[in-house]
Amino acid sequence: MRISFFKYSLSIVLLSLFLASNIFAQEQDLSNYRMRFRFKSIKQPDGSRILEASFVATNKKDRKDRVPVYEADINFLNVLGEEKVPLGASKTSKEGIARITLPEDQYYLKDEEGRITLMALFKGTEELDGEEEEISIKDIHLDLGLIEKDSIKTVQVKAHTLDSLGVQIPVEETDIIISVEGMLSKMIIDEGTIEEGGYEFEMPIGLPGDVNGNITVYAIIEDHDDYGDVVQKNTESWGILNEQHKEDENTLWSEAAPIWMYVVLTILLVGIWANFVYTGIHLFKIKKEGEELELKTENE
Amino acid sequence: MGLLSGATTVAGATLLANLASEEELQASGEKIRVLTPDGKMVEVDAESINNYPEAHITPAESRKGIPDRKFVMVIDLAKCKNARNCVESCQKAHNLDYNEEFMKVQLIQDHEEAEPYWFPKPCYHCDEPPCVTVCPTGATFKRDDGIVLIDNDRCIGCKFCITSCPYSARQFNWSHKPKFDDTSQPYSPETSIPGTEGTVMKCDFCPDMLRQGKLPYCASSCPMGVIYFGDKNEDMVTNGEETVRFSELINDRGGYRHLEHLGTKPNVYYLPAVNRQFPLERGFDVEEDIIERYKDVPFVQDLKSQGKI
Amino acid sequence: MNVDSRKRELVKEFSPMLLKSTKWSKIWIGILVGFVLWGLAAFVIQVVKGHEVTGMRDNVVWGIYIINFIFFVCLSYSGAFISGILHFFKTPWKNSISRIVEIITVVSLIIGPIFILLCIGRLDRLHYLFLYPRIQSPITWDIIAIITDLIGCFIYLYLTFIPDFAILRDNSEDVPEWRRKLYTFLAIGYRDTPTQRNRLHKITRIMSAMIIALAIVAYTVLAWIFSLTLQPGWNSTIFAPYFIVAGLYSGVGVIIIAMYLIRKYFKLDHYIRKVHFIGAGVILLVISLLFGYFTFSEYFSRWFSHKTHDADLLNTLFNKYFWEFIFANYIGVLVPIVILFFKRFRTIKSITFAAVIAVLGLWLNRYLIVVPTLETPYLPIQDTRPEFIHYSATWIEWALSFAGIAAFVLFFILIMRLVPIIPMSGIIDYEREGKGGTYSVTQYQLK
Repeated sequence: MRISFFKYSLSIVLLSLFLASNIFAQEQDLSNYRMRFRFKSIKQPDGSRILEASFVATNKKDRKDRVPVYEADINFLNVLGEEKVPLGASKTSKEGIARITLPEDQYYLKDEEGRITLMALFKGTEELDGEEEEISIKDIHLDLGLIEKDSIKTVQVKAHTLDSLGVQIPVEETDIIISVEGMLSKMIIDEGTIEEGGYEFEMPIGLPGDVNGNITVYAIIEDHDDYGDVVQKNTESWGILNEQHKEDENTLWSEAAPIWMYVVLTILLVGIWANFVYTGIHLFKIKKEGEELELKTENE
Repeated sequence: MGLLSGATTVAGATLLANLASEEELQASGEKIRVLTPDGKMVEVDAESINNYPEAHITPAESRKGIPDRKFVMVIDLAKCKNARNCVESCQKAHNLDYNEEFMKVQLIQDHEEAEPYWFPKPCYHCDEPPCVTVCPTGATFKRDDGIVLIDNDRCIGCKFCITSCPYSARQFNWSHKPKFDDTSQPYSPETSIPGTEGTVMKCDFCPDMLRQGKLPYCASSCPMGVIYFGDKNEDMVTNGEETVRFSELINDRGGYRHLEHLGTKPNVYYLPAVNRQFPLERGFDVEEDIIERYKDVPFVQDLKSQGKI
Repeated sequence: MNVDSRKRELVKEFSPMLLKSTKWSKIWIGILVGFVLWGLAAFVIQVVKGHEVTGMRDNVVWGIYIINFIFFVCLSYSGAFISGILHFFKTPWKNSISRIVEIITVVSLIIGPIFILLCIGRLDRLHYLFLYPRIQSPITWDIIAIITDLIGCFIYLYLTFIPDFAILRDNSEDVPEWRRKLYTFLAIGYRDTPTQRNRLHKITRIMSAMIIALAIVAYTVLAWIFSLTLQPGWNSTIFAPYFIVAGLYSGVGVIIIAMYLIRKYFKLDHYIRKVHFIGAGVILLVISLLFGYFTFSEYFSRWFSHKTHDADLLNTLFNKYFWEFIFANYIGVLVPIVILFFKRFRTIKSITFAAVIAVLGLWLNRYLIVVPTLETPYLPIQDTRPEFIHYSATWIEWALSFAGIAAFVLFFILIMRLVPIIPMSGIIDYEREGKGGTYSVTQYQLK
């Protein structure tokens, strides 16, 4: 017991020493950094909403020198006037990002315009000042239709918001990006603006899609003042199948060799070994003859 | 008050201790700096290598390849300025020494009249790879997704593949190095670490990253977006910033493959160095030792005689 | 003529070679063993420290090990080839040299593959060649060819030894017991009866034809290791016949040198006579002309068409390797031709000198095929480390090379202690067929 207490206190002392030196070494560094706290909302295709706060210190002199804040507690709140409803909390990752996902049927406090005010809050510690960031967005309903109009493959985007009475209001003047999903990234195929609640364009031809010929199209509103980030997607088997890479069989570079190689090698080896065996048999006969001779001479 | 600050210290200490032990565990990993809520800057392992030990691909599994993919790389020579980020990030990820480069940046001058250009050269992962053909044990193999890998558990070190590769893409581990003893992660041909003495190694197209839906290190680290990578089956390649159709890129920009006449059918394409974005000289902003490599190129000799480098 | 007494006479004549060891022979063996031990030490260092101790690096991954490998293996193949021809066509003057050729064949086929093993990074995984074979790889073909050839050569060599073992068994009154037992075992009851003799002659003849075929196949496969790659200096359609001719060139050369040394040290002047040297010299002349022709064709077509990468290679050869090129491909070919072409230059010593030049030139020719090609890859070497740009063998590699040569000579000497270097049965056969009249007369006159 005593020993463990001793150990414990010693380790604390050592660690605090280590910490103290650390603080000393880096305190002056911190003054060169500006804290950047950002907050955004991303509405997902399934109707859920991601709230994402990024917390990064950037060097005032060297912009490339970015240091993410790690393990900071971030609280997410829904605000209406004086009322604050906590939505959840998360710690920042090594990239300085804290994230929570809210389900589609999440209840939000809205003002009379239908705006939802969301807040990300860092309470602050002794060394770091508190941060808060507020965004105010309208819940947008984005529909992405992949339809064939006169046998022309068309991407059709429809967007509306709901007012407090539940009346659909078409969305106006909103930039939208249309892209298709790839293995490593999304490829932008069109950029346009939603007018009168809709936008449509002709799908480029010749895209292969995935192995089943399915193409997944995304419609994305990015960083909009009123709607935040909104993502919608839809999949249709519009792909023109690329000729799938055939498995190489019986080539020089596959596991199994071309058949003729086996044949030739076998013929060669069998021929040669037949000869060796033939020689062996005759040697054996010579030996036998020798033994017979010996027997004969012994008998005589 | 004193008690309170003591508590903070302890809390901070545990956090730091956690970080430290994590560092010990993954000594080979890449480090990044982060700021703790206590205002301390500490180094932690970047979330890169083998964060998913359950996703470890054994040598036997690595022979199959990622289903229904056919990987291609497109290198835009017009944008390369020999920043060497591709080389360095690759070295970091594959735990390579200073002179061990899976990705090399060469200075190529096609003929006397032509201005030389920077030429990043990975393994070309040929469709008809001469290295695979000559391997007597099947230690190097061609996968269905187009990637040519080496299983250094199988390699006997005959070096025949090195002599038969016309692109000098392969390297040999000439002696034992302490880094080979690092068993913090199990060997996989998909990561090429740890290396083994007396075996061959080369660029592997980072299948471990591809399985996570990420770009190979060289492509993601290039500040100029020189290196596009993607799946030929979906006809898309990306350099991390923009994604374009592979067929359009090749057709519109005159994409070609190096030494096409050899018939190896590489999966690495080049876009010619036309309308360059940087003057060639920008590429000489590297270490003296690196510049020295290019001393046989006539253009470099001219620059030297003019005292420009 | 009584065959049995003639046999006894021959055994008496050759037994000093088999049994007595002089002071000089002991010293020689001591020196050779010393070289082998030096090589073993080098080998241990290489195993412990890795291939870093050699001069080989990423561009030149094959150095003088592989050159020695080709050299010895070619020597063996050409030995088999020549020996097969001698037997198959019943060449009149074959008897005195056929055993030399056979021993060269087998010994070099044991030494050669050791050099390829030195090239291999992971000797502990050698069995993977059989566990995971890929028959597309020329290395696999080469392994099959070498093993098959080695077995064939052993069988063949043994067949030619049997009659002599029998003679030694029957006339071993005053030799140690173990020797007699060994001879009895190895002679497998061969009594030189007409049926046995005919049987043995038949299978020896078939094996001699087999050996020729095997040698050609194995040679070709060896050449293909190089010519099937895309390297500018290697990818050549004439490489297989070129290697065959080059192998014969070095083979005949080494045979002449061996004849000279054996004749000198064992005082076999009446068996290995000037006529043998002249015969071998004329063959060497023919082969050197052929070899020169192939060498010229090979480089001339590269020079004339001068594709970029061929031109780069020739540039390396004519600048970095100028003197080596001159020695290997001019002196190494022309000097033997000049010496052997003119009748009055054809003395035993000059023919041996020509052979030495030929062998050295050929070894260098091999060096020039392997190293400069690897130093001139398609993409220029852009490196700052001198050892990665230019290959130069380290003492480890040289020690092992000389150990290989020493082991070759040592094995040769050991086999010569087992059976006489001149096949006694051959002499008997020759005399029995009645053609030997002049032969034996000459010998008796000499005595």
